[in-house]
Amino acid sequence: MAKYPELENIFGSERVETGKRALSEFAHDQSFVAGKTPCCVVKPKDTEEILALVRLANEQRLSLIPCSSKPPRFRADTVPSVANAVMVDLSGMDRIVRIDARAKVAMIEPGVTFDQLQNAAHAQGLRVVMPLLPRKTKSVLGAYLEREPNTIPKYHWDMSDPLCCIEIVFGAGEIFRTGSAAGPGTLEQQWASKQAQKSPMGPNQTDFLKLVHGSQGTMGIVSWSTVKLELNPTVQESYLVGMASLDELLGFTYAIVKSRYTDEVLILNKLDLACLYAQSPSEITKLAGKLPEWILMYSIAGYRDLPEKRVQYLKLDIQDQAAKMGIVPVQNLASVSAVRVAELLTHASQDPYWKLRLKGACEDIFFITTLDRSPEFVAAVNEEARRAGPDAFQIGVYIQPIQQGRNVHMEFNLMYPSDDAATVKKVKALHKALSKRCMDMGGFFNRPYGPWADMVYKRCPDTVSALNKVKSIFDPNRVMNPGKLCYE
Amino acid sequence: MLPENVYKELEDILGAENVTQEPAILDSYAWQPALNLLKDAWVPRPEAVVLPQTTAEVQAIVQLCNRAGIKCKAFSTGWASYSACGSEGVIQIDLRRMNRIIEIDEKNMIAVIEPYVCGSQLQAECMKRGLNCHIIGAGPNCSPLASLTSGWGYGWTGLYTSYSNRNPLAVEWVLPNGELLQMGSLGSGCGWINGDGPGPSLRGVMRGWGGAQGGLGVFTKCAVKLYPWPGEEGAPKGMRGMMLDLDMETPKLHKLYYIYSPSYAMYAEFAHRIANSEIGYIHCKLTTGGFMSVLMPRAIKKIMKSKAIRAAAKALQHCTSIALACHSEREFVYQEEVLRKIVEETDSFIFDWSKLAPRLHDTLLWLFHRSIPPAMIFRVGGNFLTSFGANEMYDMCVLGCEAGEQLKRPYIDKGIFIEDTGDNTWGGIYEGSSGWGHIEECAMYDLRTSRNPEARFDYLDETVKVVQEKTLGFSLASVGGDSYKYLGPLMYNYHLWQSKIKSAFDPNYASDASFYIPPYEEVVKIMEQEDKGRMFGATRSES
Amino acid sequence: MSHTQLESMRSDYEGCSRCSCCKWIPHAQIMSWRYAKSCPSVDRYNFHAYSASGKLNMALSIIDKRSQLNDAVASVIYRCQLCGACQVSCQNYRDDIDHCDSFHVMRSTCVQEGFVLPEHLEIIESMKREDNTMGMPKAQRSDWAAGLDIPDINTQKVDVLFHAGCRYSYDEGLLDTVRKWATFLKKAGINIGIAGRDEACCGGRAYEIGYQGEMKKYADDMASRVKASGAHTLVTPCSDCYYTFKYLYPKNSLGLTVKVLHTTELTDGLLRQGIIRLKSSEPMTVTYHDPCHLGRRGESYKSGWSGDVKLMRPVQFKQTGREGIFDEPRNLIKAVGGVELREMERIREYSWCCGAGGGVLEAEPDFAVWTARDRIDEAMATGAEAIVTACPWCEHLFAEAIKEMGVTMKVLDVVDLLDMGLGGE
Repeated sequence: MAKYPELENIFGSERVETGKRALSEFAHDQSFVAGKTPCCVVKPKDTEEILALVRLANEQRLSLIPCSSKPPRFRADTVPSVANAVMVDLSGMDRIVRIDARAKVAMIEPGVTFDQLQNAAHAQGLRVVMPLLPRKTKSVLGAYLEREPNTIPKYHWDMSDPLCCIEIVFGAGEIFRTGSAAGPGTLEQQWASKQAQKSPMGPNQTDFLKLVHGSQGTMGIVSWSTVKLELNPTVQESYLVGMASLDELLGFTYAIVKSRYTDEVLILNKLDLACLYAQSPSEITKLAGKLPEWILMYSIAGYRDLPEKRVQYLKLDIQDQAAKMGIVPVQNLASVSAVRVAELLTHASQDPYWKLRLKGACEDIFFITTLDRSPEFVAAVNEEARRAGPDAFQIGVYIQPIQQGRNVHMEFNLMYPSDDAATVKKVKALHKALSKRCMDMGGFFNRPYGPWADMVYKRCPDTVSALNKVKSIFDPNRVMNPGKLCYE
Repeated sequence: MLPENVYKELEDILGAENVTQEPAILDSYAWQPALNLLKDAWVPRPEAVVLPQTTAEVQAIVQLCNRAGIKCKAFSTGWASYSACGSEGVIQIDLRRMNRIIEIDEKNMIAVIEPYVCGSQLQAECMKRGLNCHIIGAGPNCSPLASLTSGWGYGWTGLYTSYSNRNPLAVEWVLPNGELLQMGSLGSGCGWINGDGPGPSLRGVMRGWGGAQGGLGVFTKCAVKLYPWPGEEGAPKGMRGMMLDLDMETPKLHKLYYIYSPSYAMYAEFAHRIANSEIGYIHCKLTTGGFMSVLMPRAIKKIMKSKAIRAAAKALQHCTSIALACHSEREFVYQEEVLRKIVEETDSFIFDWSKLAPRLHDTLLWLFHRSIPPAMIFRVGGNFLTSFGANEMYDMCVLGCEAGEQLKRPYIDKGIFIEDTGDNTWGGIYEGSSGWGHIEECAMYDLRTSRNPEARFDYLDETVKVVQEKTLGFSLASVGGDSYKYLGPLMYNYHLWQSKIKSAFDPNYASDASFYIPPYEEVVKIMEQEDKGRMFGATRSES
Repeated sequence: MSHTQLESMRSDYEGCSRCSCCKWIPHAQIMSWRYAKSCPSVDRYNFHAYSASGKLNMALSIIDKRSQLNDAVASVIYRCQLCGACQVSCQNYRDDIDHCDSFHVMRSTCVQEGFVLPEHLEIIESMKREDNTMGMPKAQRSDWAAGLDIPDINTQKVDVLFHAGCRYSYDEGLLDTVRKWATFLKKAGINIGIAGRDEACCGGRAYEIGYQGEMKKYADDMASRVKASGAHTLVTPCSDCYYTFKYLYPKNSLGLTVKVLHTTELTDGLLRQGIIRLKSSEPMTVTYHDPCHLGRRGESYKSGWSGDVKLMRPVQFKQTGREGIFDEPRNLIKAVGGVELREMERIREYSWCCGAGGGVLEAEPDFAVWTARDRIDEAMATGAEAIVTACPWCEHLFAEAIKEMGVTMKVLDVVDLLDMGLGGE
């Protein structure tokens, strides 16, 4: 007899998984959060099935945990906080439904990964706006929905970029399409009138996408989305600037980001760059030893119109700017080639995932601040780390200008060996202490995962109250990913 | 009249000099002919008008309204009918005493403003710092805060400075129930730098493509994204004159061109190529007919009787204004070369104002950057309405141009609208490479001579239907009006979700929602009625 | 009650689009947050009704019988300097609303219906009794000219009739200025004369505060004096009087038959013809305040068009304010060696008002000073040592505001600089 007949009615028995091993995989991820084992895993293949599932969940008060990426997973947003939840594994919905090359828009299902989309985009002279070397299994939609920063700040006009429209089944059990995808008209009719579901706003006087964005699967289950693509450069040059202190990079970074001269722009400390660039722990350690403390990486590019000329003027202007500031951009730094870094940035991380290469495990602390404040946070983190004492962990730093330079995503990567219990304990405590310290200093933890949620939301009761109202509308029975964020 | 105790309480909150219920003074808040989709230019008279100066005062007013069962409606600069009260019995909150620029963070390109800072003021202060702000097409007389939080929001420089929906950062918001919400980073004690999160972004509640038009509380402070104003010279210097007599020193690396394309297909292709080339600061459609009407309002009707002139105007209607604004001489040379290449490859021709009429070039450039020309539409008739204008791929937007022209022509012939050749379209591409944008179709009329509002509403009805039939998106006229009754069911019942938001955030229905949406239960009842009334031209006199 | 007069301007009232451009200086010219506003009235009292737009809306409300004219409404109407900045701003974008004419009609209606201010009544009483607005004896009208040996037109014909105006005739603080003007012109070889104690008010102030009928008598008197003087030119150092002669008289078909010049206009002509030459003075940085009634409102009345649909009125009949007297005083200031002119942000057509006009100085002195203080702030922001102007009302009020503010800024008339340029001879 079927264990979950209603679910099997929807999915068939082959797409309702109840095996212990499969379930236990979902009970935890790479984070410190201890999750609960789900009761089953379902694997929808289309919107109708998702709709039926959500309606069933409302009837039977099931808890649904949507999950688009395959493991290894991080950050605990897909780890059940409650027992007997139904994992909604969307990784099999991995069709690139459509690429509109003229509109530079792709319509994708949740399971589409970055390399998959990038390869399809490249075939049309386009490219995906990439986060920093996502893991191979990472869902594009999952990353974008969770505000993973991308590496080209000039294309990051607003926080939801490059996400355009989504089709979602709200927790309330209704299908909805956001932005211009809402209509009027079917998708086919919209395509016929040269629309591409590109406008993320609305429909009308509510921005439904924004209510889903950053919600860690608590509002509903997204069945497809449209995402912006950009032209793939036909000419590109990449540069590195190494400095002993972060402060020395700030003025130059502001200048090249503000003018929108650059494509990829990011700042890494030597450890993070080494982890990205090298493969083995020994290579990483060796490379990090040769690199300056801080490295700014940027690319300039030309596309379809006079691309060489574009790169030429950008290069000269940036050189002038650099000279004024006593900065020397180079194409090779120690044994790191800027061109190679740029290549790496266009795809997902090779295995092992770059954050895990050095020590086998990594826990991140990330938040939003402004570039001018980044040295304060680095100093504070270093101070806390020193206080924790010398140990087997190391800290990588990644600073990503976003929103065209108005903010930065500031990320500390605590790399540690997961097999050393004492270190794990210490890193866990340090992670908490650093998180609190950065919050106290005004770091904006806009993506409050796992234990951060309580720490973050107790600072903004007004936001909590408002979010609960929203939750009550779109998921009145709290079937979607219970226990996450701030809901009563 | 408000109950005496309520009025007294308002006086206690604000001081007697900042509260009035003098009928004639109240009526100065009830004359709203602009973009008025109601039957009468007189909109419902507020019950009282109040002038708060602080967020605490705004909160006290809204809390009082909740207690007393009275609705309120705030506006900033207060232009157009949706600023006004939509029904009787509403207290109008005039925010003009909240007029400070609280901060400009030059390095991080963020300003924090109060409601009664107008676009010109903010832009002037930004330009002193090598920055610029987005000014909407409605003009620099409008409040950027209102546009960011509550209005629509495309402006001339949208190619470089985006759209109002996309430009707010943290926001301070007195919710309809009187509670204070510090949205985004502000609420977490992290300053004004970001408006989204923690977790889902409440910007989604605040507004959509359009804003709630005052129907969902009061926005008291807002952080706004600023953009570079390239070059080191700041605003034009040594300016004399006021409009077409302007004379100034324009920053060196700024230039304006008109591009004439041979067809709408090529016009769209030109826009597409501009987006892909990532050049330019302004991209906006111009209309030769509209331009002529504004410049020659008295002669246009006679002139347009000439078939030859009409044909010439028609031939020139595929016209783009494009401005370059560059950080360096090299960039300028590059961008101009790309521009000329695209012009050539789209069979278009370029009209280089700086060579043909340098002084006029400088004038137009500045007027566009400050978004002044739309105000000149008043010269023609004093009033206008707008239609079409959905926001999607520009290729789609261009399809609306001819449809709009065809629809409007008979109304011009009947004297409902003033002659503008039928093509009075405006709008461009937004956000650099994105290639999306909007084109709206304006229609001008003189309220004094055209006393036939029904006909105007017939036109709007027709446009919404045509937009729907041709799948040209969600038209501008449909935002905040009664068209949700027809469009909601066709669009995943957005109206029901929106009305649930209204109910959740405004449990006592204290925010006048006449230009937003009624609470859920009310909407359900409206939807159950067979005769849902018309989309435009409702009479709003009762609460 | 029918409001025939108000009804005559219905088209103007209905034209208002409520864009609020009347509250700001022309947008192309806004260069800062601080100096962007144009209208003292709404800036001080805040309710929209105080703006030009709001007043038009109220008038429409009254003629549409939606509300009544009463003391409260009249108070809004009177709390306005009639400076005309709103009209300049509005007409920058459109052609079909004449704000100042509308306000005149509103004030006249107030008076007709008995909504008058006691302070304004005093002005009218004074005019009736003593032919001046200042409450001073008519017999002392020419005391300012004592010892200057200026011909009296009652006894001899002259080329140019010098009309001092009420404030210059009686305000002791301005005595030096008016005497300097008369002396300067005389020295420049102009055959000027004055009407002595027979000089009377121009009547403009009465018109502006709503007693429009009163002006005719004064206009007729003025015409007789001009005729009797044999002068071909009437010159005045008072911007208010100048405006009355250039705009109000012709608008009411009371136009004078002689050329009317402001003293700065006449002097600029002399300078350009080389009749006078100015030398260097001590180095000084000044800023120039455009008096409303010399600048935008000093524009000659543009007659010759009649019709109901102002949208169809050719632009040459529109009072844009652009043809007021702006360059002449500046030319004179710049001609004085050593004097550096630093412009404020709000100048020329979109200058901020001093605060004295429209009966506000008399009825709402606090509001008047509040307005002047804003201008002094703006003047001080230029770094100038002195604010120079060409109107006794402005000078009087600026001096008061500066005293109240406790700041050190000199108030000068253009003639003070000319005097310096002549070496104080």
